[in-house]
Formats: sequence, structure tokens, C-alpha cells
Amino acid sequence: MTTEPRFLIVDDFSTMRRIVRNLLKEIGFANAEEAEDGVAALNLLKSSKFDFVVSDINMPNMDGFALLKSVRADENLKGIPFLMVTAEAKKEDIVNAAQNGANGYIVKPFTKATLEEKVQKIMQKLG
Amino acid sequence: MGHTDGFIKNDAATAPAPDADELAAWGAAALDADAPAAAPAPAVSGLPAPAAGGADAGTAAAAPPEEIFHRIGQLTRTLHDAIRELGYHEDLSDARDNLPDARDRLAYIARLTGDAAEKVLNSVDRARNVQDEMSGRALGLRTRWAAVAAYTAGGDRATPAGAALVDETCAFLSSLAQQAESTNAILTEIMMAQDFHDLTGQVIRKVVSLATVLEEQLVKLLIDTTPGEQRKKVEVSALEGPVVNPESRTDVVSDQAGVDDLLASLGF
Repeated sequence: MTTEPRFLIVDDFSTMRRIVRNLLKEIGFANAEEAEDGVAALNLLKSSKFDFVVSDINMPNMDGFALLKSVRADENLKGIPFLMVTAEAKKEDIVNAAQNGANGYIVKPFTKATLEEKVQKIMQKLG
Repeated sequence: MGHTDGFIKNDAATAPAPDADELAAWGAAALDADAPAAAPAPAVSGLPAPAAGGADAGTAAAAPPEEIFHRIGQLTRTLHDAIRELGYHEDLSDARDNLPDARDRLAYIARLTGDAAEKVLNSVDRARNVQDEMSGRALGLRTRWAAVAAYTAGGDRATPAGAALVDETCAFLSSLAQQAESTNAILTEIMMAQDFHDLTGQVIRKVVSLATVLEEQLVKLLIDTTPGEQRKKVEVSALEGPVVNPESRTDVVSDQAGVDDLLASLGF
């Protein structure tokens, strides 16, 4: 029996968290929690089991890059798929995300099809 | 700035860099143009005064850091003196005083657009629930009518008009479910369009940050150039538009209830 994957949506804008949550629900992933920055996300990740992280980059307290590095440096969390969804479109940011272990990168504004494609692709790749 | 393949490309990064001689000549020329014609500028404490007429192109390339700091000090002092002598400190004061208001107004825009986006998302959720319920009920009725159609098709009670009505009703109920799917797709588009709040909000946040830095710099400049007795209060305009920070003021109401209470207290 396979359990439904649990997502963590990290974004400082509640509107965007809600949009991503609704989109994930539409594409078949209704099990999701939210965090408003990297610190809150890391606390949730360490206290509860998640199967997928969808994170913004530009956030107060701890940004998406710092969160990604913390996740990859943690023995218990390093295997979690990590998808960046951000307005940052600079090449160096995209390269930085990839070099630090992000599994995907979506630039805002995006479509439902793009999110679905990236999530499915990451899930298939990581089994 | 140019754009290539959807990425922002910095043209300056690809332009040939000027060599040291070019930079030296450019720097010396710029400084010469801004410097007083003959008299040397006063020395900054602890630093030697520059030679009259400014640096020449031959020595600028090898200028030591002390010389650079000295020139920056001179320019800063000249700027301060000019601002004070020309009375620009009043303009600076106005600019500084208006920056917090500009920040508040930007925050107001961000809050209003955020509230609007939330309202749209709430409406989308409600509309989607209505659609889902209607679609479910239509499918349920279609199933039951299909059973009726199957029953009457082979029985004596079937009539051409009745059979046609059943078929038509089943077709309508089926189309209703399909239309609900189309409506849900449109609702998704409306929901996705609300991401403008995130994107505009990030821009506003950066502008507010820039305004904060600018304000700090202006305050420092004002402290250096404006005598305390010359500072004036900013006049408040009679019509200032929407109130962006009602919680910090006692001379405004924050909502319609405040308006109604005020009018009631006056006997209206």
C-alpha cells in the first residue's frame, strides 16, 4: 500500500502558498503543509516527515538557498526532493540552486502544467 | 541590459574592458573638470593637500589609496558646502520627510492588492465547490435517468415522446458535468492570475528597502548641512487621499463603522 506523498510549501506570500497548495491538490497531491520562511520550514522538516519540498527563494529570516543547503547538509533530510518556485530568474541563481542540490526550478509566474510536469518528473526520477 | 533566450544579459560583462591607461586618463580628466580652477582644496585632517590643478594623467594610475580617500573627502566637503550655501538642505529635508509617506503608501498598495487576491481566491474556492456539487448531482441524476431509460425502452409504458425526453435529459446532465470541468479550468486560470500579488509585492519590498537606505543617507547629509533652527515642519495637504496607516493616527477613522459611529455621536 502506498501512502500519499506529503508536501511542504515554503513561501512568504500567503497568496502564493495557497495557489501552490490548490494546484498540487488539482494534480492529485492534497496532502500539504505550509511554512512562511526557511526557518519555519526547517523546523517542520525536522519535526515531521515530508516527501517533497516546494520552496520560494526570496524570503525573510532564511531564504530558499539557505534552506536548501540546510536540508542537503542534514543526514535525515538530504534525500527529500526539493523544487524551487521563484521569481528569481538570474542564471546564477538557477545554477546556484542546481549546484546546491535542487531537483527542479520554476520561475514565477508559472502554469499548472509546468508545476505538474516538474513534480511528476522529479518523482519519476527519484522513484 | 539586453535579453537573450529569456535570460537577462549584462552587456557590460561582455564589453571590452578599458585598459589601465584609458581608466587613468578618464579619471584624471573627470577630476580636472570638477576641480576649482586654481586654488587647491583644503586638506582633510591627517592627509596631505593635493597639488594645485589636480592630478595629471601620468600619476593618476599610480595614486595611492590615501590620495583616493583624500579626493573623496574633498568632494564630500564640497558637496556639503554647496548644498548648504545654495539652500538645497530644504529640498533634502522635504525629500527625507516624504520618504516615510512613500513607504507607507507602497505598503498600503501591497496590503490592498494582497487582500484583493485573497478575496478572489476565496471566491474561486466557493465557485469551485458549487461546480463540484452541481457536477456530482448531475452525474447522479444521469445515472438514475439512464436506468429509467433502460427500463422503459423494452416496456409497454415507453412512448416516443417519453423516450426522447429521457435521452435529452441524460445528454444534458452529461454536458453539465463537462461544462463544470471547463468552468473549473477557468477558475484555475483566475486563481493563477493572483500570483501578481507575490510578484508585485517583491518589487514593492525592494523599492521600500531602497527608500529606507535613501532616507538614512539623506538624514546623514541633513545632519551635516542643516542648522537645527532652519528645519521646518512639513505642511499636511488638505486632501491626502486614502489613509494608509490609520492605526497610527487619531484624526482619521479606519473603516465604515468608524464613520457611522462618528456620525451617530453627532446626532446624524
